[in-house]
Amino acid sequence: MEKVWMTPPDDGEPQEVEATPDVLVPLLVQGWRQIEPPEEEEEQEEVDDDAREHS
Amino acid sequence: MPANIRELLIGFGKGKQTDIATANLVAAIWQLKKLNAALANPKLNTENDAEELGKGHEFATEVIKTSWDVNGTIEKYLSSDIAAWAMAFGLGKVVKSGTSPNFTYTCTPLNPTSDGIELPYFSFIEQIRPGGAPVLDRMAVGCAVESWMISVGSGPGRANSKINIEFVGSGKLTEPSGITLPAATVEKLLLSASLSLTINGVDYVTSKNIVSLEFGWKNNLRLDAGFFPGSGFQSAGDATSGAIRGRLECGNRQASLKFTARFSSGSTELASLKNQTTGTAVITLQYDTNNKLTVTFQKVSFSAAEVGETDGLVTVAVECQPQYDNTNGVISAVAQCNTDGIAQ
Repeated sequence: MEKVWMTPPDDGEPQEVEATPDVLVPLLVQGWRQIEPPEEEEEQEEVDDDAREHS
Repeated sequence: MPANIRELLIGFGKGKQTDIATANLVAAIWQLKKLNAALANPKLNTENDAEELGKGHEFATEVIKTSWDVNGTIEKYLSSDIAAWAMAFGLGKVVKSGTSPNFTYTCTPLNPTSDGIELPYFSFIEQIRPGGAPVLDRMAVGCAVESWMISVGSGPGRANSKINIEFVGSGKLTEPSGITLPAATVEKLLLSASLSLTINGVDYVTSKNIVSLEFGWKNNLRLDAGFFPGSGFQSAGDATSGAIRGRLECGNRQASLKFTARFSSGSTELASLKNQTTGTAVITLQYDTNNKLTVTFQKVSFSAAEVGETDGLVTVAVECQPQYDNTNGVISAVAQCNTDGIAQ
């Protein structure tokens, strides 16, 4: 089952949830919104850290 | 040489603008065909000084550009692509999932508390013989969907499944557009014959009773509120160029659903009206497994059910009253298509 990352309206902890209407619609109604997977940001930060170390 | 209206090309943002004043880049624009000949003509509103004192007469001596308006209609045969676009831009909130060729857009109306009341914006381009000596080449920047309406009828042709989209612009124009439109997207039609329909627990397709169906959404955009102190001008900083809107916000939104079905012994519509029975209404139209639209009205009752006739057969025309469900809201749409990046 495919999953997407969602974040709550109060800027709480993002969660990875199943991308099905039964799951997504109640979240959207509550004000949750989709975000990019956080892994990508972490990977980018690691790359940046490596670059700083080498420089 | 005279231009034929069939030369008209339209393109608009399949991706959303970053804000109301920043036009879509060409990479986020697609070209689609449409049916209606009406153009999205910009309207310049003016005032004059006829009523002002001090001139010695009642005639105008000066005309002042006050504001700009743009609105338009896109009438199309319903396809999975335009359906996904209309749901995403019309309802306002979207989650994209899936990969090529099956992108899925799960759409709901904005939650004003957390999402605000501004819908995603797009640019709308009209061109006739673009290039060196165009007949028409303009782009309306900062447009938002005012409403969409899908109508499904009986009969063999494409016209039995159509969508009508109305939109309003900020008034900001770019002429020439500076956009070279991509080739028209090959759309996957959602024909009437593919309909699945269950309303209040009744499957109207299995029973072969459905005659026609109309459902839609209207944002009732707050048009005048778009002109606020500081909303800006057609030419930035030029107060003589006419004001433009700096925002397009939802008003009191409305969902609508009505249908006509054959009426026979055992039909439940009148009893459902009398008892104010509530249930979901689930409408599905499909091209293939990757191109599909499912719209769910989360809670409906019947506000009217009138027995009449259609082509000599007894039918019942039903108007539904969409209601808000505390868990799932009033309406949701799951639109699947081959097109990536809609409202992203």
